[in-house]
Amino acid sequence: MAIEREEILPKYWYNIIPDLPKPLPPPRDPPDAEFSRIDLLRKIMPKEVLRQQFTVERFIKIPEEVREAYLNIGRPTPLMRAKRLEEMLNTPAKIYFKFEGATPTGSHKINTALPQAYFAKAEGVNHVVTETGAGQWGTAVALAARMYNMESTIFMVKVSYEQKPQRRTIMELYGGKVYASPTNLTEYGKKVLAENPSHPGSLGVAMSEAIEYALTNNYRYLVGSVLDVAILHQSVIGQEAMKQLDILGEEPDILIGCVGGGSNFGGFAFPFLGAKRGEKFIAVGSYEIPKFSQGDYMYDFPDSAGLLPMVKMITLGKDYVPPPIYAGGLRYHGAAPSLSLLIKEGIVEWREYSEPEIFEAARLFAEAQGIVPAPESAHAIKAVIDEALKAKKNHERKVIVFNLSGHGLLDLPNYESMMKRLLK
Amino acid sequence: MSKMLVSYATLGYPKENEYLEFIDGCVKGGSDILEIGVPPKYAKYDGPVIRRSYKQVSSWLKDIWPLLKETRDRVKIPIIILTYLEDWLPVLDDFLSNLAKIGIDGILFPDLIIDYVDDYEKYVKKIKDHGLKAVIFTAPSVPDPMIQRVSKISDIFLYYGVRPTTGVPIPVSVDSLITRIRILVDNKLVVGFGLSDVEDMRKALRAGADGIAIGTAYIEAIEKGGVQEAINLVKYFRGVLNEF
Repeated sequence: MAIEREEILPKYWYNIIPDLPKPLPPPRDPPDAEFSRIDLLRKIMPKEVLRQQFTVERFIKIPEEVREAYLNIGRPTPLMRAKRLEEMLNTPAKIYFKFEGATPTGSHKINTALPQAYFAKAEGVNHVVTETGAGQWGTAVALAARMYNMESTIFMVKVSYEQKPQRRTIMELYGGKVYASPTNLTEYGKKVLAENPSHPGSLGVAMSEAIEYALTNNYRYLVGSVLDVAILHQSVIGQEAMKQLDILGEEPDILIGCVGGGSNFGGFAFPFLGAKRGEKFIAVGSYEIPKFSQGDYMYDFPDSAGLLPMVKMITLGKDYVPPPIYAGGLRYHGAAPSLSLLIKEGIVEWREYSEPEIFEAARLFAEAQGIVPAPESAHAIKAVIDEALKAKKNHERKVIVFNLSGHGLLDLPNYESMMKRLLK
Repeated sequence: MSKMLVSYATLGYPKENEYLEFIDGCVKGGSDILEIGVPPKYAKYDGPVIRRSYKQVSSWLKDIWPLLKETRDRVKIPIIILTYLEDWLPVLDDFLSNLAKIGIDGILFPDLIIDYVDDYEKYVKKIKDHGLKAVIFTAPSVPDPMIQRVSKISDIFLYYGVRPTTGVPIPVSVDSLITRIRILVDNKLVVGFGLSDVEDMRKALRAGADGIAIGTAYIEAIEKGGVQEAINLVKYFRGVLNEF
């Protein structure tokens, strides 16, 4: 019997906070603050997005209009079996992946851009602003804004702006206005440029610029990751995956995802964690941006200018600037508070892989399954391969499920750069 | 039983005499419990208004004890001290025994189960061993099983702060937040943080709150129109609670 797409697409978003092992330290204002960042959120974020951030309930109903928009972009995304990869690795493990690259923007980011844009529009907002690194989030916001007839402005990290002209083209095709951050359009951007005119940009800086720009013009800021509300929206990924595994009669053992700010990982893994399904959860970061191995678990600002409230997270520091030559993505300096807590509590394991390792994994995956993965997602693939080989060594028939957070068709310059540097 | 009005005052705010006048007014106006804020080094979960009140008081109040004793001596309703555990850790036993000695009823550390979750039981025991009531602070960011657990050991009532910081009117659905935890709470449930909007207050009471804690609204009233205006507000809120 065919199961309708509408039945797999969840009716509720899932929030893990009520099910965490310990209290999640709340966002807070710094000591001796000259202004309240928490109060400032009311001018920055759409009201309903802010309400969802702080009205913590296990399940929140997805508005029917947003479910329709999800169906319209192709949700539920496919859950595919990587049979040929299993064969190439000669592993007894079964490997499944949730393919978030199937959405029009090529990544999971659209899952939160759509509801945020919907809520903004419903409140009479006509212009939204955000930052982007690789361009996946910027593309998602530009499309979501267009779908609700709003303008969008995107502050894109300068190195990516230069290396990713195609992402810029898509954002502009959707009607977005794209600037290379640091810019001269904001006070914070000017300050960064005054200190270092050739600053390559960072997500933290671009985030601050987007927030300042939204404030000055009375636009609204859409948040791509880190805050609980973004992960809440992403929970459609994991909930769909659970149903899709049920249909196949599979029970997952190992769940794997890559981590930039943590939204695709949280969206994929948290519903499984909440339902107590799966025995091992692996969050994969980059060796070159070593937040898990070298970051501290402490209160820090999500953005470099410190316009957002401090949150307790694993962080390399708000002023962290990633190595410019590295092309593997996952450059954000922190990991979402809920994910950080789960890692600190030992419930989620972490791994870090280097660029040569993830490049090899991406090549193997492309060869096996034909899909060019986003360099970010290749981090998860590398962990999948390692787990599959371990299962082979131990003769265990593990079921490994990972989130393929995006495709890499617009990241070909990254792969080109890796091929030049890494292939002898 | 009627709903509880928990009124908050910053110790010594704005000046000694006006502060004493205000706490008298809190009692006469129908407060059931008085919460007294002792200025901390870092008011982690306080918004700009209460932070401002701490700053003003800290400029002249160097010794808190005589004024705390004076407060105890003139007020018959239960008094709960509100201050951050972080500041008192090095001298906790002395602090608690001094509070007990002057007859304070209980203490509420807002950071107890958030920043000291691994040791909270030890601190609760210490508070109780000193003969004080331990009022436990929770929030929507506290997981359900833990709310259920601490609701059983919290004295007088369980405090539930529905917003991330005091006084800032972040949009939240107060009723949904209370519905989520009401069945878990085996205790009186007092709700606070930004509840000066009486519609929010009514929503909270309808959703099952046993009482309301008010602070920022009084300080704003004192800033705007002086102590009498704040006392009028106490009476007004008492009236709203009496609807239930």
